[in-house]
Amino acid sequence: MTGDHRRVTDHPGMQRFDLDEVVDVVVVGTGAGGAPLLARLAEAGLRVVALEAGPDFAPSEFTPDELESTKINWMSERLSGGDDPTAFGPNNSGYGVGGSTLHWGAFTPRPDARDLRLRTDTGQGRDWPIDHAELIRYIERVESDIGVSGPAHYPWDPARSYAYPPVRRNGSSDVMIRGCDALGITATDGPAAILTRDRDQPHYGLRPATLDNGDIHQGDRFGAKATTANTYLPAAVAAGAEVRPDAFVHGIERDAAGKVTAVVYRSGGADHRQRCAALVLAAGGVETPRLLLHTGVANANGVVGRGFMAHGGVQVWGTFDEPIRGYRGYPSSIISEDFVRPDDADFVGGYLLQSLGVMPLNFGTQLVRGAGLWGDDLMSAMGEYPFSAGVGMNGECLPDDRNALTLSDELAEDGMPRAEITFSQGENERAIDRHGVAVMERILRAAGARSTRVLQRSCHTLGTARMGDDPADSVVDASGRSHEVDNLWICDNSTFPSALTANPALTQMALALRTADLMLAGR
Amino acid sequence: MPSAANHPHECTVFFLPGLGLDAASVGAIAAAADPRLRVVGIDLLDRGRAASVDDLADTALERIAAEADGAPFLVCGHSLGGKVAARVMARVLAGTERVFGLAGAVLLAPSPPTPEPMPGDKRAEMLATAQGEHLSREDAAAFVAANVAAPLPAEVQEAAIDAVVRQPASAWREWLTAGSLEDATSLVGVLDLPVVVLAGDADEALGADAQPDLIADVYPRARVERMPGVGHLLPYEAPERVAAVLAETWDAIRTAAPVVPAEWGRVIASSRVDVAVRRTLAHRAIADDRDRAPRSLNRGQVETLRALAALLVPQGDGATIDLATRIDDMLAEGGTDGWRPLGSPADPIAYARGLDAIAAVWPSEVVEQRNLVVTLITDGIDADGVGADGIRSWFEDARNDLLRMWLAHPASLARIGFDGFAVGGTAPQPAGWATIAAGERETWEPSELGQTVVEDAA
Repeated sequence: MTGDHRRVTDHPGMQRFDLDEVVDVVVVGTGAGGAPLLARLAEAGLRVVALEAGPDFAPSEFTPDELESTKINWMSERLSGGDDPTAFGPNNSGYGVGGSTLHWGAFTPRPDARDLRLRTDTGQGRDWPIDHAELIRYIERVESDIGVSGPAHYPWDPARSYAYPPVRRNGSSDVMIRGCDALGITATDGPAAILTRDRDQPHYGLRPATLDNGDIHQGDRFGAKATTANTYLPAAVAAGAEVRPDAFVHGIERDAAGKVTAVVYRSGGADHRQRCAALVLAAGGVETPRLLLHTGVANANGVVGRGFMAHGGVQVWGTFDEPIRGYRGYPSSIISEDFVRPDDADFVGGYLLQSLGVMPLNFGTQLVRGAGLWGDDLMSAMGEYPFSAGVGMNGECLPDDRNALTLSDELAEDGMPRAEITFSQGENERAIDRHGVAVMERILRAAGARSTRVLQRSCHTLGTARMGDDPADSVVDASGRSHEVDNLWICDNSTFPSALTANPALTQMALALRTADLMLAGR
Repeated sequence: MPSAANHPHECTVFFLPGLGLDAASVGAIAAAADPRLRVVGIDLLDRGRAASVDDLADTALERIAAEADGAPFLVCGHSLGGKVAARVMARVLAGTERVFGLAGAVLLAPSPPTPEPMPGDKRAEMLATAQGEHLSREDAAAFVAANVAAPLPAEVQEAAIDAVVRQPASAWREWLTAGSLEDATSLVGVLDLPVVVLAGDADEALGADAQPDLIADVYPRARVERMPGVGHLLPYEAPERVAAVLAETWDAIRTAAPVVPAEWGRVIASSRVDVAVRRTLAHRAIADDRDRAPRSLNRGQVETLRALAALLVPQGDGATIDLATRIDDMLAEGGTDGWRPLGSPADPIAYARGLDAIAAVWPSEVVEQRNLVVTLITDGIDADGVGADGIRSWFEDARNDLLRMWLAHPASLARIGFDGFAVGGTAPQPAGWATIAAGERETWEPSELGQTVVEDAA
């Protein structure tokens, strides 16, 4: 069978730390937050252990089948409420060594400077307590570490360059380019952590150029898509880190002064205690606040879980005369940053646009949930699937403390209370949606769509343990360190003070390297 | 040996012969077969080897793969061929074989996956006749005579004896001393698909009295049909009845499940598809057992869910997938999509209460049923222990579950024109796409997917 059989923990020289050894740092989670930080700390000589709730998959175990592939998603139920409940499972979650980078779309726009000073510029939302130029220096390092493809000339940032040529355009890419050209909207090949040439990945080996398969959200079996499991984690292990899969952390032990002394995790049906001098939570925007609320750690100000944000992810699909079959090729190869700050905006912030191909179950689910279709309407819309090309947005979301993650009375299979997430869009999010939908419909019509259909959705889990300078109004400081527990750091999307218009993973990896540097600098 | 008929067939029957017999023993069955069935006899013993079930299954699968056309097929195994059929089906369902389309089986006095019950003196007696290169004509005649309930017509008897004499005696020896004694239970597992077992009441060890116990753990859906006045050699003693049961079995399957078009079956069988994907699609293509006891819901709830499914995910004319049974399986196995609406109880409870509440107000007129669906989508209805909001939320989940179950079936993927599962695969170089442009398709793809054909990279 083809497919990549390498597992992170197969590395013959991987360190094994004793449970009673006080390791320098335990990192909970191995995704875009945990893995780069783990690698950086290990390279600096620290004794570090990463605990991952899910298994250590070989990429060859991934499957393009959309029902079977949910083994790489966190499938223990989250409870989703509010006026605009956000979907979890295959949307928004990861499980396994590599975390959500196993299923991510690998779309890697950089954060826009204006998004980091949203409050300064508009009086709304929150500023990031981080300098944009500093963040970009880390972004460039991440792009070099993982291999990112993109256009030779980036219209909105002419100084930028990418190491690999862009991925091949598919049917829906051509549609978006055609529509944008007709309307005078600038659009081009997007940045993606998808290799278009073979790459010798340090500490991993060959990662081959993409096969143009459209199933990357189900896990890339061949390694053209960067995950932390084929980039940072092998580097971390080579530098002396231990990665422990199948280890679900449910307890944090502290001394009388409140400092973390150990974490308790379940593995193989038994509880284990790993002693540590410092703890980094990198379990994502849902599991990190869930663990903090469950353990009562770092929440004296009651901010944990408050201000949950999800990007507006509304999509518009057009129906065309010829088969588009956007399940072939990288699903989101075209980008437009023309609407990061549109001139005619009746809202603050803005959005990115990307072209969309999609797998059929994802499409069908959105027809049911996002468009409310049933019966013959649903079946005829499914029949249009191969003739459909989409454009989707990633839109700013203002923090609102009424949107929150709390704990349910109901216990999950893992013994901890389930997470309840309440999310309602505010007027600003609705205004962004309206603007985006109108633009996307115009693009598709200009490209020759016979009809268009709007599918409502939101994505990404942000802001549930936010970063800020004010200890009364945030959970961690600008370095990611808890205001309350000085040997506790958080390194995942829960620290985002505002949502940004860029998709979060690239920024997250940069934040991880930065937090690691600041942890090292403070030693 | 394909049947002579040139009639366009719907389904192929791969016949696996019994000990001492070969592909020719299907001749009378093929002659009597429904023209919608293409009957293909498979030689199993001509290579002289029968020491293990997998030896024989290797031979069978190699020849089935060469003859398969991507359309549905039944396996018809007689005696020794019945044990081989079990392993062949297990391997096809495991996805490891370059074959797709298994729909069911008709087994004729099958040897079970467990060691075959055979009196020691009979085994020794048969072994004694198989010491040379072939059985003598006298021994062959005695073998045929000992295995029929009543003497065969002379011409038929001669054909049977000819077949027995043709087989290498080494195959007899290996089967009697090893293959028939092999415990293949773990190689076969449980085969949950439509199966009919035919057995004579004049057959001793593998007859109608013995079969129910022999197959119970392997074929949960099997129906055993007792054949009066028939011994062990069903292909010779009762070919018309076998042919009729093959047609009945195919009719039952084609009315119970949508058919995956042959062109699509060939793609799924090809090296472009991963073993795991082929396994998944092979299982999902099996016709649902509409009569089986529900596992999570009760029968009334399943009926209500069927009625809803017909409105929410209408499958059109022709055979349908029983989405309600598949959701019942999903509930029993604890499957979820990773979240549920706040206020809605866990799926098995929400389904039970929601369906009970719907059943209590289910109108008889379709127009009113459709109005009720609209109410369920917009407002919900009150149910025992769950408010209207909770039922409305659950109903969205249920609509999505029904669509998920429908879309998972390979016939549905074919219907919507999705062959994106055929990437990666088992060839030395993984399969990708030569063209990803609109309107273009590659040579290996089903013909309806595009006008302009592009040679694939390989």
